[in-house]
Amino acid sequence: MADFKVPELTGEIITPKVTLGATSGIKPFPANAELMGKVGFPAEKSADWKVKFLAKMGDILKKYKSVRVFLDICVRCGACTDKCHYYLSTGDPRNMPVYRQELMRSVYRKYFTTSGKLFGGLAAARELSDELLEEWITYFYQCSECRRCSVFCPYGIDTAEITMAAREILDSIGIGSKYNLAIINKAETIGNNLGMPGPALRNTLDFVEEEIQEKTGVDVKLPLDVEGADILLVTPSADFFAEPHIFSLEGYAKVFHQAGVSWTLSSHASEGGNFGMFIGNYNHMKTINKRIWDAARDLKVKRVIAGECGHAWRVLYSFSNTLNGPFDFLDPNYNVPQHICDYTLDLVKKGAIKLDKTANDDFSVTFHDSCNVARASRIGNEPGGQFTIPRELINAACNKFVDMAEETIGERTFCCGGGGGVLTDELIEVRVKGAMPRMQALKRVKDSNGVNFFALICAICKAQFTKIFPYYGIEMEEVGGIHQLVGNAIVLGAKEGV
Amino acid sequence: MPTMEFEGKTYEVDEEGYLMDWSLWNEGIAAEMAKQDNLELSDAHWEVIRFLRDYFEKYQIAPMIKILTKELAKKYGKEKGNTKYLYELYPAGPAKQACRYAGLPKPTGCV
Amino acid sequence: MNGLSSVFNLLAYIAAAVFVLGFLNKVVLYFKTPSPLKIPTTPAPKTSMGVVVRLIPEVLFFRSLLKGGITEKILWLGGWVFHVCFLLIVLRHLRFFTYPVPECIMFFQQIGIWAGLVFPLALLILIVRRFLNDRLATITLFADYFVLGLIIAIGSTGLLLKYFARTNLVDVKAFILGLLTLSPVQLPDSPMFLIHFSLVLILLVYFPFSKLMHAWGILISPTRAQVDNPREVRHVTPWA
Repeated sequence: MADFKVPELTGEIITPKVTLGATSGIKPFPANAELMGKVGFPAEKSADWKVKFLAKMGDILKKYKSVRVFLDICVRCGACTDKCHYYLSTGDPRNMPVYRQELMRSVYRKYFTTSGKLFGGLAAARELSDELLEEWITYFYQCSECRRCSVFCPYGIDTAEITMAAREILDSIGIGSKYNLAIINKAETIGNNLGMPGPALRNTLDFVEEEIQEKTGVDVKLPLDVEGADILLVTPSADFFAEPHIFSLEGYAKVFHQAGVSWTLSSHASEGGNFGMFIGNYNHMKTINKRIWDAARDLKVKRVIAGECGHAWRVLYSFSNTLNGPFDFLDPNYNVPQHICDYTLDLVKKGAIKLDKTANDDFSVTFHDSCNVARASRIGNEPGGQFTIPRELINAACNKFVDMAEETIGERTFCCGGGGGVLTDELIEVRVKGAMPRMQALKRVKDSNGVNFFALICAICKAQFTKIFPYYGIEMEEVGGIHQLVGNAIVLGAKEGV
Repeated sequence: MPTMEFEGKTYEVDEEGYLMDWSLWNEGIAAEMAKQDNLELSDAHWEVIRFLRDYFEKYQIAPMIKILTKELAKKYGKEKGNTKYLYELYPAGPAKQACRYAGLPKPTGCV
Repeated sequence: MNGLSSVFNLLAYIAAAVFVLGFLNKVVLYFKTPSPLKIPTTPAPKTSMGVVVRLIPEVLFFRSLLKGGITEKILWLGGWVFHVCFLLIVLRHLRFFTYPVPECIMFFQQIGIWAGLVFPLALLILIVRRFLNDRLATITLFADYFVLGLIIAIGSTGLLLKYFARTNLVDVKAFILGLLTLSPVQLPDSPMFLIHFSLVLILLVYFPFSKLMHAWGILISPTRAQVDNPREVRHVTPWA
């Protein structure tokens, strides 16, 4: 199946020995000149690339406190060195967060610090070169921006900030990732990462309606572009296309239906995801995010609810207000925006919907905290709600739930291995290996509790694990969203006493 | 840019062998791609390819898997209307293999 | 005053100025560099008061290090003991900077001695771990050994002054107070003191241009110092 060695599932996560260059050959496909032009970057690397490189880097140092401070204050204590899933699974030292950052820090010393200018190599300052550039392209696309390193760093240094800055610099000199930029272009021109036009979306929604009708006999609607609806649902476009994503879409629709609220999807904002974040480009992030709030305004909705997507939730929760706010046209009595798990759990607690747990009795469930939800945002109104609310909802929807080992969940959760713009086939080796720590933790609860349903609230995680599970000998059908469980358990039809 | 030779003509393809211009496609190209993968195209294979082409022409995107499997069920009966059967036909996956043979671009996003 | 004394008085002023201005320069630079987006590592506090509560154990007990494994536990031991000893030693040294010496500083005299003795051991842990662990060996730079070596040298010369190359403390105090009152006097007649003092000046000059700025960075790192309230309060920066 693979032309590389898939890690063995033992249930143990063992820190490997340093192996120089273990993943040095794995790079993303470059975006071609046409695509670069479409998203507003230089078509290709020019002769004066070093000038552009340093200009962009200088600009970022002025604009981002995170980058400036993080480059200065790292003491190389090594606390992060065994925290990255890519290091743990490959042993390539450039996958140690501090050593990944060193790729940028060495350039910073050379061109932006006194000591680097004076002492050069002795101060570990590195000159720009084609060789260095290749290392940047390689290793800044082997970071999934998951922020796990920042949890353990005594100063909270977040490699994601460095990776985003590095990708922004690469883009600005004409070196882009095909996968990320193609998606950004589709999101900005068509409205979603898939490039699914409105009529195709409607056709798909019709199909989902038919499916629900066939399975349940209930007429559940998936409205599109309905002006005056109360709720706009923004969800990753994978929910309209891939499995198991689509089953969560069925789940959301059933919840809205049974709650009796008016809701709508938008063809203009048919995407929750925002790959502008992955490449550290403020303007793209803003442009993509704007579609959502324009749609909310145009459709005159009162609330915006976000579907199961990790980084979408980070952008919507943490950045939206800054990028495109304020949202004073929405109902201030609800969180703006609100996470679908927060919304559904609230309905369950109020008794507005009923869940029949026995519908999921075939499943023994565990929950994977997705990094952007766990470490870069919050669900609900209390810190840590991103951990408790999804678990409460799962427990409301099924009888058998067990958590994976404590050091692999919550704020210390391991990335799926495909986040942050890495979910592309040419990087399959680092994706499969990067999933290793999570797979080991899963293996343990599979052995101890017979877990056969791996619940998630992130489209990237779903796509990644669906693809990765078979490499580890696990059925891809074991991956699914929380709202897939909710969709199975929800009691449709006449309500009692509500 | 990588290319693919077929019947004396040169076609531009991307790094993974997807046709750059879907409108240049013809059935011979699909057969040629399959030949290179040592895969014999049966009627069922062709059914998938034609359905993908029709859907793409209508909607400018490949259909989601479920729509495709349902179509197979209509044509070949319930027991063949599932993802498993689709993977039997196209072991590398419907997106990776069937879309490529059909000359369609690879679906992007979190899929 | 002899020539050497003049030179050292001058160097001391230069070093102090470089340290203070260099440090302030970084503080201002960090202050002026905006955070365009809200990026606290969550779960994070919802209020500024909560951020203070989050930072206190980070500063006093290096809390995040304790989340790690055995390597970080060893690092914690070496690092925490080192920092505490450093603080106690500095407090002990304040008696050379004050006249009359406040009561509270007298309290640190004995404990400062103990700290001085433990100090090199803690530093030894910090150095040795960089050799023994292959990941640390890979990431360690010359600068890391340089600063550890420098501080060990400062600590050792201090101990030598205390126990073996004893110098006239009255002269030392007169010299320091002379510097502080801007009325420089003769250097104490002690080569060991001269070495100890020079090393401290090097540390002061090195500080603002090095990773030692983590001393300030820990307080303003956006992932730790930001409030988690992006939905309630619109965070804006001029450029964004």
